[in-house]
Amino acid sequence: MIARRHVLAAGAAGSAALALAACGGGSGGSGGEVDGEGKTLTFWLMEGTNASADAYIEELKTAFAEATGATLDVQVQPWDGAHDKFVTAMAGGTGPDVAEVGTTWVPEFADAGGIDDLTEDIEAAGLTEGLVEGLVDAGTLDGQTYGMPWYAGVRAILGNREMLEAAGVAEQPQSWDDLLAMITALKEHDPDWIPFPVAGASIFSAMPFVWGAGGDIAEESGGSWSATIDSPEAVEGLTWYTDLALEHDASTAAATTWVETDSLAAFLQETVPMFITGSWVPATIRADNPELAEKLVAYTIPAKDSAIAPSFLGGSLMCRFTETAEPELAFELIKLVTTGDFATRWAEETNYFPGTTEALDEVVAGGDELTAVFAQQMTEGGTTVPVTPAWGKIEGAKTLSTMIGTILEGTAVQDAAETAAEEMDGFFAG
Amino acid sequence: MSTAPTLEKNPSGGAEPFVRRTVPRGRRLRRGAAPWLLLAPGLIVLGVLLLWPMLRVLNLSLQDYELRNLLRGDSNYVGLDNYVQVLTDPFLWKTVLPNTVGFAIVCVVLTMIVGTSVALFLNSLGTLWRSISTTAIMVAWAVPALTGTYIFVWLFDPQSGLVISALDGLGIMDAGSYNWFTNRWTFYAIATLNVVYHGFPFIAVTMLAGLMTVPDELYEAAALDGASAWTRFWQVTVPTLRPIIAVCVILSTIWDFKVFVQIFLMPGGDGTTREVMNLGVWSYTQSFAQGEYGMGSTIAVLLTALLLVISVVYIRTLMKEEEL
Repeated sequence: MIARRHVLAAGAAGSAALALAACGGGSGGSGGEVDGEGKTLTFWLMEGTNASADAYIEELKTAFAEATGATLDVQVQPWDGAHDKFVTAMAGGTGPDVAEVGTTWVPEFADAGGIDDLTEDIEAAGLTEGLVEGLVDAGTLDGQTYGMPWYAGVRAILGNREMLEAAGVAEQPQSWDDLLAMITALKEHDPDWIPFPVAGASIFSAMPFVWGAGGDIAEESGGSWSATIDSPEAVEGLTWYTDLALEHDASTAAATTWVETDSLAAFLQETVPMFITGSWVPATIRADNPELAEKLVAYTIPAKDSAIAPSFLGGSLMCRFTETAEPELAFELIKLVTTGDFATRWAEETNYFPGTTEALDEVVAGGDELTAVFAQQMTEGGTTVPVTPAWGKIEGAKTLSTMIGTILEGTAVQDAAETAAEEMDGFFAG
Repeated sequence: MSTAPTLEKNPSGGAEPFVRRTVPRGRRLRRGAAPWLLLAPGLIVLGVLLLWPMLRVLNLSLQDYELRNLLRGDSNYVGLDNYVQVLTDPFLWKTVLPNTVGFAIVCVVLTMIVGTSVALFLNSLGTLWRSISTTAIMVAWAVPALTGTYIFVWLFDPQSGLVISALDGLGIMDAGSYNWFTNRWTFYAIATLNVVYHGFPFIAVTMLAGLMTVPDELYEAAALDGASAWTRFWQVTVPTLRPIIAVCVILSTIWDFKVFVQIFLMPGGDGTTREVMNLGVWSYTQSFAQGEYGMGSTIAVLLTALLLVISVVYIRTLMKEEEL
């Protein structure tokens, strides 16, 4: 309660300054004010990303009212069942004007005609340059951008310094060989440890090794996609990663069905010295186990021969629903949220990275060592999954986690990859 | 039935045309309408909540219907294509159907056996202990399927669950050496435990209610004739309780066939481990996870049809004609 009141008080004090700053940014960027006097705009914000969302929302409302005169109605939506809710809202025309949309959903919604093409608005506002590339890619379908980058997270390796130092391997791995040497040393140091869990149901822990070997999930040529997960490079990466569990005893049989939160649970119990996880996790650990948080260390995920492999960059874009009656006003809100002080503040409060390079630099400069490592992973290795409406189906069918699961259960890598490729090609064909 | 009152009023029977004229058409209509009026609220609710969605699903099952169609509101009829695709898919015959049917049979049989045994035990207890025991087992029934499933998942966690810890402590198996959730048989063994545990209290309480209505004289007479407890159960209890058993079996079958939460929430049960998929999960992943609403509806229609056939067969074999 005390903390909450403190935040509210601080928020109220800073409110005026923020509003002024946002005002200045808005008029400077677009060169023209939008008059929203007497109008109301609805904004769907996803629940749980920001612990102090209430204060943020209040200030956003004030700032928006001062900038445009319009009333802002922020509706917080839970992630559970969010996809269905978006779809129903689009079908029934009961959606908001502006919404936060997860990156992997954007191509699907754009293709279905539920959200607007924002390319021209972004250009007119002079925001095309300086956006985080991976987020732009995720929102770009057939050369058109359907969402304005807002915030992103990326996965890297998070370690327990005390455990790593005990085994004498607390250093950034420069290649796969280095990583394997670390794992072997950890296992030798304490056979009861799970040196590097291979979580079967977490595809974004596995994909960096596919990308790090020069492979990819699928490739586009001439407007059509085809799966490349069964290419020699991809198979090499998958083999190396799953062999950690199958040959090198880096994992446990239990991890075959683990998702990232299961690895995290084991990490919190200090039976796991390092694992692949998101940039938003250190904040969770800091809240749950401050003692462990002191021991955290982060490394970029190594590629076959270098220190940084590509890693999935996930996050949210700000999208405008096709049904909106106030497209200009809606874009004013998108600008207010995704640029300037509000963007920086959101990133700081949520431990995600902002979607503009300017704000990103600011967050990195003010952050700790962990932030710096994750930021490096993101800027130098941030990548995305195939940007096609078919990705939604591939994700829904769990094609890739099925592939990893079956490999961990003994299926030959090449066979499992071919099965997955065949299934993906089926989805690409429509 | 409706002619009975008219007959009573006209014992002669020969004057029927005359009598009909004495009851005005309007009143007859009104009298006939009364039951329908009384049924109307229920029927309307059922119609809106059950019949309309069922017709919609049937309609969707004949279309190649995706998110795009939903947003644009356009239909895309493909005839029976979805049905052909589902019914010719080896995945249905090799994995989904055996999982669904086999699991349901095992669960129904086990639930009935456990439920009936518990009911017999409860029936032999005094009032106080019976109330206490009934309350205790009802708690298992009152636990939502979601919570119950998580409890079983925790118990059987391959790394640190209670079961593996016990086995590890006894030196039988090392913790983390085997993942039960990735094997079809062990996965369903855990699911069976969960479903039977969750389902038997209802059967036990229903059967107990039935047992308490069986007249003691029947048992006494049978005992005098020298029938053993086993014979008395099969010759007295079962025939008397047949309608109740039929209802219990049908309900359990329906519940165990369309089991979804208990499978979906288990590790790998959400479609990741393909060999443990059942009809419910398959329908869900097709419709909602992949946005193939048409295909998902087709699977749902097939599941409904399968249940209808099973229910009809059950009712036919378990109940004599006069009981229907």
